[in-house]
Amino acid sequence: MEDNAELESFRRQWREEVTRWTKPAAATGSSEASQSAVAPSPAVAAANASSKLPSRRATGAHKDLPGKSSLPHTVTTEELTRQVKSLWVTHKHAETEEDVFTRRAQEEPESALEHFERAVEKEAAGNLGDSLQHYRKAYRLDAGVDKAYRNKHYSHSWKKPVQPALVDLAPSVKEASAVPTEEQIPLPTAELIESFAFLPVPGAEPLIEGDIPPPCPIANIPSEVLIEVLRQVALMDPAALARMSLVCKRFAYHFAHEQSIWKDLCQHVEFGLQGMHYTFACDGVGHPLHKLDQVEQYTPFPVNVPAEIPKPLSSWSQVFQCYPRIRFTGIYISTVNYSRPGEISSFQTVSWNSPIHIVTYYRYLRFYPDGSVVSLLTTTEPVDVVPYISTENVLAARPTTHKSYQRHASSDQGHLQGGSTEPVPSVAINALKHGLRGRWRLASPFDFADDPEDHSAPPSAIDKSPSFDPRDVIVETEGVDPKYRYTMHLSLRSSSVTKAHPNPPRNTKLAWRGFWSYNQMTDDWGEFGLRNDRPYVFRRVRGWGLK
Amino acid sequence: MSSQITLTSSDGVDISVDRTVAERSILIKNMLEDLGDSGEAIPIPNVNEAVLKKVIEWCEHHKNDPVTATDDDDNRRKTTDIDEWDQKFMQVDQEMLFEIILAANYLDIKALLDVGCKTVANMIKGKSPEEIRKTFNIQNDFTPEEEDQIRRENEWAEE
Repeated sequence: MEDNAELESFRRQWREEVTRWTKPAAATGSSEASQSAVAPSPAVAAANASSKLPSRRATGAHKDLPGKSSLPHTVTTEELTRQVKSLWVTHKHAETEEDVFTRRAQEEPESALEHFERAVEKEAAGNLGDSLQHYRKAYRLDAGVDKAYRNKHYSHSWKKPVQPALVDLAPSVKEASAVPTEEQIPLPTAELIESFAFLPVPGAEPLIEGDIPPPCPIANIPSEVLIEVLRQVALMDPAALARMSLVCKRFAYHFAHEQSIWKDLCQHVEFGLQGMHYTFACDGVGHPLHKLDQVEQYTPFPVNVPAEIPKPLSSWSQVFQCYPRIRFTGIYISTVNYSRPGEISSFQTVSWNSPIHIVTYYRYLRFYPDGSVVSLLTTTEPVDVVPYISTENVLAARPTTHKSYQRHASSDQGHLQGGSTEPVPSVAINALKHGLRGRWRLASPFDFADDPEDHSAPPSAIDKSPSFDPRDVIVETEGVDPKYRYTMHLSLRSSSVTKAHPNPPRNTKLAWRGFWSYNQMTDDWGEFGLRNDRPYVFRRVRGWGLK
Repeated sequence: MSSQITLTSSDGVDISVDRTVAERSILIKNMLEDLGDSGEAIPIPNVNEAVLKKVIEWCEHHKNDPVTATDDDDNRRKTTDIDEWDQKFMQVDQEMLFEIILAANYLDIKALLDVGCKTVANMIKGKSPEEIRKTFNIQNDFTPEEEDQIRRENEWAEE
């Protein structure tokens, strides 16, 4: 709920800013429109923001899955819940650090533990069907396999507390009582970071005791130069700055306190808000629009105007953290699992043995900074297709008889990225055949000043989202049939805050708000049902969006 | 006017250099303007001979670059690229690299300082915290608890 309060004030702030910004251009009409839109009652906002997605998910398709162990919400015993949650957590962590989308040479699992490990892996990838099979095999081979798994992977978490206890047992050691109590009360993070100010960058110890320590020239440079280095790191890849903050205390201090770096990032085109589009920058298939009248596009923090931190927030790092931002450094994946009853074999008369198929499919969205997007719906697993999802590969995968490919081939050269010279495997090509090109933009406050007779938006979309939500994203793509166009309304969401993750990345999920098709011949809108809809979740892909 | 001036390094070596080249350094430029060209050697007490020669080499190569305005922040922040010659120039051991950065900072040669910082940033990106520590011989001064606390605090920036 605090999310809504934050959203509300943010929304108001945004609207004010936009009104101010538009005044010279359209002084009359827009101000009235924004007046009436100001401050919808919190209840409306709450209903709006939480939408109906979560509740539907709870009652949805997953309840009838037989292998409940794989879903955190439906597990039976408390212990399992905890276990599964921790699995979830560690996997997420591992994946942010490594490249998930390269297939490792996989051997077929043999032992129960190997099966269990594979099952966990598949589960994390969202492939419940396979995961379930491995879980079953694992338990068949060894009923106590989950214990073995926990002993292997999580033993450190319960073995650790043993140590202080042992120290306590030795009464002669003086520090024994002092050390644990000191550790018991950790400083609040802000104060902890404050205490790092002016600490030197510590040089490494020599490999052999008593030897000369290895040179650590980075420790000699003054703060202002160190900050310049950190700024360059941030502009190359903001995530690298986050890793830098874990190197030593001094870097952690600058990460938290060097606001100018965060301001630069906010105003940066590649990673910041300068790269966001609030009106479509492309035509329907993702070719850049060349407008004759170069109207200055809306952007929250224009470079040529002294920028101020918007009110509810107090620092530029918060702005970078909170403002709706599409990421270009990876892929958004929506993994959908649904079950469907299978044929009952005629040899079996017992009904409790009827098979249930678990079907897993994926929706992928890759956004480009130029305002284009690639959308793909396929059953092909991420590891097989994600590294190859790109505009040029989608075009290349299409049958060459496709006219538009020939016509647009030259203009797509601009998209080509270095390093993608390796041949695309056929499994990826087959999936990419169904890729759709399109365009994206974030919602803009102008959307609601629009003429209601405007046919560019599905009519029901306007009813559904009567107020402006800056987190909304609109994606338009080609249809499977050329006479259709698809419109997706999505909205940026954040991962939930947990004790283990008090500060998760913000706006890395895309929840569904609606999905329509538009028949260009008959000027009709049709709405797709979103029975099995799942939000898209962002995953970084190595090399994407970085130089 | 291509008059020669003489710089004296911290280890007492005189190096003569074109005035236009030396004036890539705002510090030297201001000194020459304030003192006038008396023909006397200008002492550079913070930079030794090897580093000073390297810095002069860079200034020679870039002597015809347009002098960037003092408020060039916008231009600098737009790009993280390093041109090819500079990349080669910066292929030196780490101690020399940071010596060049220190000298560029002291002599006030913004473009060279930038190239240096970008070179260091390139050594950092794509590495894990432990790899970064190894690269620069930095010791981890966090306790495991502190490291965990900071990791949780900064997790939002990891993607």
